[in-house]
Amino acid sequence: MEQWTRREDRRLLTGQGRYVADIAVPDCLDAVFVRSGVGHGTLRAVDCTAARAVPGVVGAWSAADLSELPAVPYTLLARLSNEESVAGREWPALVKDRVRYAGEAVAVVLGEDRYRAEDGAAEVFCHVDPLPAMVTPSAAADDSVRLFDGLSNIAFRGEAGKPVEESVWREAAAVVEGRYRQQLLMPTPMECRTILAVPEGDRLTVWSGHQMPHRLRRELAALLGWSVDRVRVVVPDTGGAFGSKSATFPEFVVVAFLAVKLGRPVRWIEDRLESMLVATRGRGQDQRVRLAADADGRLLGYELTIEADVGAYPHLGVGLPMQTAWLATGPYTTPQAYATVRSVLTNTMLTYPYRGAGRPEATIALERAMDVMARRLGLDPAELRRRNFIPPESFPYRTPTGRCYDSGNYAAALDLALETLEYDGWRAEQARRRTDPGALPLGIGLSCYVERSGGEAGGLHEFGSVEVGEDGTVTARCGAAPSGQGHETVFAALVAGTLGVAEERVRLVEGDTDEQPEGLGSFASRSAQVVGALLQHVSRRLIDEARERAARLWELPVDEVQWSGGIVHAAEDGSAAIGVADLVKVTGPLRVEDRFESGMAFPFGSHAVVAEVDPELGTVRLLRVVTVDDCGVVLNPTIVRGQAFGSAVQGIGQALYEGMTYDDQGVPVLASGLLDYLLPTFTEVPPIEVKDTCTPSPATPLGAKGAGESGCIGTPAAIVNAVADALRIADPDLLQMPLTPDVVWRAARAPKHEEEVR
Amino acid sequence: MKITLTVNGEAYPLDVEPRRILADVLREDCRLTGTHLGCEHGICGACTVLVDGEAVRSCLMFAVQCDGSSVRTVEGLAGPDGEPHPLQRAFSAEHALQCGFCTPGFLMVAAGALEADPAIGDSPERVDGLVGSNICRCTGYEPIRRAILRAAREQTEGERDGGNR
Ligand code: FES
Ligand code: FES
Repeated sequence: MEQWTRREDRRLLTGQGRYVADIAVPDCLDAVFVRSGVGHGTLRAVDCTAARAVPGVVGAWSAADLSELPAVPYTLLARLSNEESVAGREWPALVKDRVRYAGEAVAVVLGEDRYRAEDGAAEVFCHVDPLPAMVTPSAAADDSVRLFDGLSNIAFRGEAGKPVEESVWREAAAVVEGRYRQQLLMPTPMECRTILAVPEGDRLTVWSGHQMPHRLRRELAALLGWSVDRVRVVVPDTGGAFGSKSATFPEFVVVAFLAVKLGRPVRWIEDRLESMLVATRGRGQDQRVRLAADADGRLLGYELTIEADVGAYPHLGVGLPMQTAWLATGPYTTPQAYATVRSVLTNTMLTYPYRGAGRPEATIALERAMDVMARRLGLDPAELRRRNFIPPESFPYRTPTGRCYDSGNYAAALDLALETLEYDGWRAEQARRRTDPGALPLGIGLSCYVERSGGEAGGLHEFGSVEVGEDGTVTARCGAAPSGQGHETVFAALVAGTLGVAEERVRLVEGDTDEQPEGLGSFASRSAQVVGALLQHVSRRLIDEARERAARLWELPVDEVQWSGGIVHAAEDGSAAIGVADLVKVTGPLRVEDRFESGMAFPFGSHAVVAEVDPELGTVRLLRVVTVDDCGVVLNPTIVRGQAFGSAVQGIGQALYEGMTYDDQGVPVLASGLLDYLLPTFTEVPPIEVKDTCTPSPATPLGAKGAGESGCIGTPAAIVNAVADALRIADPDLLQMPLTPDVVWRAARAPKHEEEVR
Repeated sequence: MKITLTVNGEAYPLDVEPRRILADVLREDCRLTGTHLGCEHGICGACTVLVDGEAVRSCLMFAVQCDGSSVRTVEGLAGPDGEPHPLQRAFSAEHALQCGFCTPGFLMVAAGALEADPAIGDSPERVDGLVGSNICRCTGYEPIRRAILRAAREQTEGERDGGNR
């Protein structure tokens, strides 16, 4: 194993990985969906007759042909949705009478292979009478065209904190305002969504690249009307997820239903073009902010108004923008704060968590406003932030918007970021360039963030077990499901370290609901924090159990029996000693399982960016990016840094390149497919320096907080602030992400703000 | 249509529809599933394999075009005794993979270039070009660049040492 850094590496590097599409099951049928070409319309007719006559097609169905087909479930988890928002708004797995987003499936064709199924899909006749497509929240909010007859397009309202008193705005030395657009993004894991449903006897085995196998099992069982034990969900290797693979999607409902109905394995391997139409998107907020400070730069009040684009159905993410509202005030003490959310249904695919999930939106709004405030007050942006940080001794800290931060040392992260960046040097260079008419303008941008990891109340626990076999091998089981985070390596090392045994002895089993009957999964950056703490906890309990057994064997008080390195021995003279494998042989199977609950944790950090702008070309060149993240106790620094780096590149994508746009019919404008959605490639990756500080979380004995989303949360605002700083425009609202050459070129021509002394 | 693909040195006599893309035939007919499909329209490079030594996107090529050709996939990278390829070792050492879905494509792009020009490690900008040809959503690419450079340098150093002996 020494030539492989991670346990996963051997198979993934030699072509032996097993992703869902790699699994061969005899007689398996491929599902292909026939999709609407418009975003909004009345479905007049679907006719699958011709498709059924195509050689190799086994069946083709519209909603009318499948009256028993269950609707798509909604989720109450993390308050992502709620009963009230979905009432009267059914999400059919195949369109019944109204198309509400482009690509919504109107029929499904099963073929002996994908080619045959696509042949069949081409023969399905479908007629949709277009209706006006509402593709932005501002267009949809006035209800002039309703997605659901008789119901408003505004599907949810929420608030956090209390309205800021009028006197605050009146009496503040400075009040700044801003409008920020958080554009829609495609999470784009390199493996699209997958499901393979295999009926066996009275059970169904479902293979899926998924983050929450137990949720998928529960939801599929419910819609089949089965008890959960009849469904087994297995998550094999998964090609990335970034939050986007944790729901039961309409296609999953259809595939599971048809597999059971036909008694035959059915799979759906989403292709990229489909994914760009109908995979969930992230972000999607139009924000207005107001921030007040006194003359010394102390924040007095903050107001954040969110108009969220949640897509066509409220089932998966109508409440997601509350994540932004609850974290509105970031790392600062703000005496009064108020965040409101209005979630609007639009004729686009649904918005759902994507790496960061509500926290980038909170950070970008606040951090952009902080820079505007610094400029207004003539303060250095770093100094303004420092004056307002929640001091390290104030934790646990209750924010006015309802969060209780566990621990933090925000100034330490900022200081390290500034030092790593060589902040003063770049400020000097900036000043020099401002006197040199031939030099390209240069800007420095900061962004300090606090995020939340682990999950929401009611979802902060996890299940798992540790077991020792007669041969001394240790098997750890848990409810997590990785998609590239190296759990097999990290958690095996954690268990081995806790037990004091060699890593090779420990094996991790996860992502299989038969192996681990209860579980929550991998989302909200929770695996190290919650699952790590759980595995440490059950490992310690296993040690206690072994000591108790040995004590009984030797008729000694338990505190005279010790565990070290997998051997139990009498503390007094060390005469009695037994290896744990022998102990199992003598006393029977040794297995400890438990449920473990963590508190919420609040990772944080500071990101700093130096950007050079070419006002003639509108291009932005990132000269340096520094990320300093604090996710408490780190289990494997290389893995965490790798995730921080990759996350920063996704953050750069949001700031400069990526964004979904829809035409008037509600169809994504992506004529050349993936080429039109500008994912960062290596050419776009600037020098990035990833650093960390460590403030352990008191939320669990392990002290780990969530990692991996930091770059998406912290980096975008730092980039936009750097560009605004370089251009010195009076109205920073002109800079809306992504900062394409067009946006920057226009902004570069806008009036500059007054020169101030720094 | 009857064709013979030689994949990783092994002959596969196949009867395939002319419309089937090389990636599907490798994955479904030859059961070599190490080659992944990330976009199926030529953008991401996850499906890259070597055809007669050249890196190609196997989602953009029909299998019948490769009749009589020699195809190399990620399964054929390791030595006959199972000894990992220097690139495989380097990718692991540099943490150049997380989910591993894009990895076979990057490995094959790099393997093709390294075989065509063992001295590629001496021109880092050419390595940059290789890394820039495919998409990875997990790693941020920098570890992939380091891994390719590491493998390339290891190879040239190995050769230099061999030559000096
Ligand atoms: S799958 Fe061939 S290039 Fe993406
Ligand atoms: S390692 Fe996941 S896409 Fe590259």
